[in-house]
Amino acid sequence: MSDVEFIGTTKIYDDGTVALDSLDLTVREGEFLVLLGPSGCGKSTALRLLAGLEDISRGEIRIGGSRVNDLPPGARGLGMVFQSYALYPHMTVRANLAFGLRRGRGDARVDAREISVRVEEAAEMLDLHKWLDKKPRELSGGQQQRVAIGRALVRRPKVLLMDEPLSNLDAKLRNRMRFELRRLHEAHGTTTLYVTHDQVEAMTLADRVAILSEGKLQQSSKPLEAYHRPANSFVASFLGTPAMNLIEGAAKGGVFTAGKLSFALPEHLAGRDGPGIFGVRPEDVQILDNGEGGGSPGDVHCRVGGVEHLGSDTVYHLEAGGNWIRALRRRSADRAQGTDGEPGEEIRVNLAVPAALIFED
Amino acid sequence: MSGVAHDSSGRAAGKPTLAERWYLPAEISALRVWLPFAALVNVLILGGEALRGNVWGMSGTLSAAVLLNSLWIALPDGARGWRRTASQIIATVALMHGVLFPSWRDISLYDLWAVSWLIIPAGFSLYWLSTGLSSAWCAGASDARAAELGLARNRRLAPKLEAFGLHVFLLHAVALVVAPVVWIVDVSISPGNILGGAIFDAFSLEHFYAVLGGEAFWLWTRNSLVVALGTTLVGLLLAIPAGYAFSRYQFAGRKGAMFVFMLIQMFPGIIILVPYFMVMKTLGLLNTSIGLIVAYSVTALPLCVWMLKGFFDAVPRALEEAALLDGCNRVEVFFFVVLPLSLPAVAITALFSFLTAWNEFLLALVFNTSNDAYTLPVGLASMIPATNQLWGDFAAASIVVSIPVVVLFVLFQRSLIQGMSAGSVKG
Repeated sequence: MSDVEFIGTTKIYDDGTVALDSLDLTVREGEFLVLLGPSGCGKSTALRLLAGLEDISRGEIRIGGSRVNDLPPGARGLGMVFQSYALYPHMTVRANLAFGLRRGRGDARVDAREISVRVEEAAEMLDLHKWLDKKPRELSGGQQQRVAIGRALVRRPKVLLMDEPLSNLDAKLRNRMRFELRRLHEAHGTTTLYVTHDQVEAMTLADRVAILSEGKLQQSSKPLEAYHRPANSFVASFLGTPAMNLIEGAAKGGVFTAGKLSFALPEHLAGRDGPGIFGVRPEDVQILDNGEGGGSPGDVHCRVGGVEHLGSDTVYHLEAGGNWIRALRRRSADRAQGTDGEPGEEIRVNLAVPAALIFED
Repeated sequence: MSGVAHDSSGRAAGKPTLAERWYLPAEISALRVWLPFAALVNVLILGGEALRGNVWGMSGTLSAAVLLNSLWIALPDGARGWRRTASQIIATVALMHGVLFPSWRDISLYDLWAVSWLIIPAGFSLYWLSTGLSSAWCAGASDARAAELGLARNRRLAPKLEAFGLHVFLLHAVALVVAPVVWIVDVSISPGNILGGAIFDAFSLEHFYAVLGGEAFWLWTRNSLVVALGTTLVGLLLAIPAGYAFSRYQFAGRKGAMFVFMLIQMFPGIIILVPYFMVMKTLGLLNTSIGLIVAYSVTALPLCVWMLKGFFDAVPRALEEAALLDGCNRVEVFFFVVLPLSLPAVAITALFSFLTAWNEFLLALVFNTSNDAYTLPVGLASMIPATNQLWGDFAAASIVVSIPVVVLFVLFQRSLIQGMSAGSVKG
């Protein structure tokens, strides 16, 4: 049993800043949970509270059912990978890996032979053999990263913590390490908490993603569920590039009105009434070719304000009744490129699509 | 620059090219810097002659300064051709003045050096103003092509001229530092106890035999070693934990304490001399090594704590956090991670404490009334009383005493440099 439970966990700093506000979250054994959010949202604080690097102000944290609030960091059975890797610069890679094992006391005591076996195992797993007798500064960023992961895993932690581990790597290496982290997780099944602000990492790595904003948990669900059914407008805007269109206004009698813009709601939203935020992802916005569809009630007349050609996709920035709408069109073989949607042109789009949502907040 | 196109000079009409506007022969720009500097040196020499009351020398250096300055003012500007002629004439006069003025028969090394500050600049000026390469420019007659070639030539020449000027300056700086050492070495190996006289004119080791053969020197050395090593040990034992606490922990009075540490450094030691003496007397620590160790540790502590705090600040916190997660407690974190990374800083702190104690004179003089309790600096001073000064012994002893300091610096060189660039070293 190595479930991790945050129960009303709160962190208030001495200056009164509430970094984490009553977090309730359970990470099940073997799960890969990603804490996602913009900087300052409390995701790193949650991780540091769990690691014991900071004191919990209120609430508690349980690992495998027992309360760990007052245990020292080394006694919680955790391994942690730091953003800066934090390898001991004065020790060889081998000594870095063995350091934690040598510190083990009581039940956690590991004898010398076992230490060397485990270091060998870690080196094998992470392909570090060539570097074992080098100092960290002689290694490249990617190699240092592997050592940091090895150091965290060699103690066979109940829970593995990672604090933005990929953010110091270049884009290419990041993609490879992302894949490798997922592979490692599948091989070992260690319960993992992973902190990042990068939605791509969250989407690709996570079994479950917990999205935080301003110290509060916004949603915790499978990544695709969070993408398709965001709990609120924050989650909706945070996940997805380009971000979801959010139009603040009011629904009444099957029609959504925002300033000068008004259009018919799709069937599944027609019953909604009152103020709300209408949301539709850019890729779900239907761009209507001239003459097509002939004036359905969900149609919106827009003026093209700008076009971004991304290669595979084209993003249109459209202005309609004082609102900006982003629409994304995938490149397709049967459509000639760049012939439609020049800036200044008038086009029609349909927002009343089945994927559209209305948020209360 | 005023060397821009004038249609009257026969050049193609129109705006001067960029090269023409920027071109200034490297020799001329060097002279523009060197001549006022040489004039300044002559003014300094003039001051020296005034102190010696040498009227003949004063008039010579005064005219040298005036000539070099006028030469500087007259230097060609790239347009008016007559300025080249004028500066050539002034340079010739200066050169002749330099050659003819001194009485060459019994010239001293110093006088030779002094007069070379006129002859060499004047010679360079005359040579450069007369060579063909820059004469077209001096006359204001160079064209765009010549200017481009000249700029290319400057790129090769200017660094060499700069290096020459810089080395002249550096050699003087080195001479200034080395001269006293040469002098004391000369005194130590000259027979008898005479100061002055020609350098390295005689050789004798009698002073070294006298100093090293006597009992007093070894007694003083022992006292100095006990005090210096004791101070280093006590200083480190106090400064390391204090520096770490200041670096990592927030506690009441932290800022105030740091400030007070700085404050202590602001007062000259002589202010606390009398209170110190009374404290030591009350505690019965006069004429003991412990008394000095306590006093020196207190003196050296503030700076040591500040230095170590700065270094500990540079050790990333994430390293300590990693060690905590690896199962260390706070004390283990310090000994296994922070301290090994801070060894260079500990080394310079140790060296600093050691040297403070090894070199200190005033407190040691006041606290120690008995000859047996003297440290080396006090013992050395006792060799040169008001009458019958043993300058030769004193010089020999000074050299012996500075050997450990030199050895320490050589040994710790690497750490010193690392330690001093502490801020830039990240784990």
